[in-house]
Amino acid sequence: MALGLITPDRGTTTFNGAPYAALPEPIRNVGAVLETAFHPARSGRNHLRVYCRAAGLPVSRADEVLDQVGLGPAGGRKAGGYSLGMRQRLGLATALLGDPGVLVLDEPANGLDPEGIQWLRGFLRHLAHDQGRTVLVSSHLLSEVEQTADRVVIVGAGRLVRQGSLAELRSGTAGSVLVRSPQAAALADLLRTPTSTVAATDDHPDGLTVTGLPVEEVGRRAFAGGIELHELRAHTSGLEEVYFRLTAGSEQYAAAPAGTPTTTGQGAS
Amino acid sequence: MGAVLSRLVRAEWTKLLTTRVWIGLLLGSCVLVGAFAALFTAFAGNADSGIAPVGTTAYEELALAVSANATILFIVLGIIGTTQEYRHRTATPTFLGSPHRGRVVVAKLVAYALAAIPMALVVIAVDVLVVSVYAGAKGAAPSLAGDNLRVLGGAWAALVIYTVIGVGVGALMRNQVGAIVGSLVYFFVVEGIISSIPATQGAYKWLPGGALEAMTATFNQADLLSPWQGGLLLLGYGLAAAVLGTLFAVRRDVV
Repeated sequence: MALGLITPDRGTTTFNGAPYAALPEPIRNVGAVLETAFHPARSGRNHLRVYCRAAGLPVSRADEVLDQVGLGPAGGRKAGGYSLGMRQRLGLATALLGDPGVLVLDEPANGLDPEGIQWLRGFLRHLAHDQGRTVLVSSHLLSEVEQTADRVVIVGAGRLVRQGSLAELRSGTAGSVLVRSPQAAALADLLRTPTSTVAATDDHPDGLTVTGLPVEEVGRRAFAGGIELHELRAHTSGLEEVYFRLTAGSEQYAAAPAGTPTTTGQGAS
Repeated sequence: MGAVLSRLVRAEWTKLLTTRVWIGLLLGSCVLVGAFAALFTAFAGNADSGIAPVGTTAYEELALAVSANATILFIVLGIIGTTQEYRHRTATPTFLGSPHRGRVVVAKLVAYALAAIPMALVVIAVDVLVVSVYAGAKGAAPSLAGDNLRVLGGAWAALVIYTVIGVGVGALMRNQVGAIVGSLVYFFVVEGIISSIPATQGAYKWLPGGALEAMTATFNQADLLSPWQGGLLLLGYGLAAAVLGTLFAVRRDVV
């Protein structure tokens, strides 16, 4: 919709102040990967050359972006024979052709193997942080968003639920400390203060969940009391928790799992 | 606009030349036309075939017009040119590169018309070669002048115009298989019926098949338009399909 492929009922989207269709050289301003789309019988390199020509770019850009996404050696092969991960890379290469300041990526991690996901994470961060591009990623994979995004926009059922930095979104949930000790009962006594709570954890018989005390304070008190610890860690609530907290109580989400809300992560601009 | 259009036309040529569709259709056309030319020449003068003997005007015009039979493959070329964007979902990057979709359709019309010119020449050359050699061996190679040249020119123009029609039909239908099957059914079934029923025979000359016949054939002189009128009418059909396609089909959401 933002890119003019679908006509919205109402509203507008602008990139640097202009709607996509009004940008004089759209792919030099905004690069988008919506789905991996190419003719299966055309090689990756030729696929890119088509869009070089359409945008008036030198065809040598095709080889440059192929190398950038690590597809250089496969550039001459038919795109139909590419693996899912290679297709994602080819899509990304297409988006990078015009060297745009803004990248819009729809589910870029779909179908990637673990190495591919790690590569993508680093690559997107490189594009955003080192090269100063805006990278807009839409994804259902919340843990993935958490590891790459600086700013998060949560959209549910077509409406904005919440936006902000990851830290801002987490701020509503108090952090807790997980601690495990064979002397859990004694430790619990040491950790109880007027402002803290201590509860047994569900997964471990010897575990405690402490809120209201920083992790350093928990460690200091255990050490002072001479209590043996097997585990001590601070627990920050993940994006998934934040997400469920923000959308909790909204019957629409509970009743309609098919229309799963999307989460949008936005990189540094 | 002109610069943008020439970029888009070049992009269409790159698309065309980086898959093998054009080679297949060109080879198919050459084989089809070469075979028909040889067949007509072989049976020329045979009393049962109804084909005039080698050396007569009737034979020469018939043999030199067989290139027009490849129009069905050239319309497929145009159809694939537009519908592949939807079939392989490349419409998304194409329309991202050029959000003004009408320009993409115009670029395709121009690119395929220009690409069809040399391809059609190759087909015509095969026809002329086969007829000249075979008919020459049977006694008289046709001269490439006068009415014979006009027949060749008509067939050549028809091939190019049918490619343009294909692009237009593809833009309108978007579905590749549907557009190709629909065209085949139309040309081989529907027009055949229309031209054979007395009540609708009058309309035939205004239809694409009738217009094609006006451009090329010299036999079976029913009530036909002049070659020029036929050519313009065909071009009009192609452009009308492209305009309708742009207005109603190409503008639709791409998902």
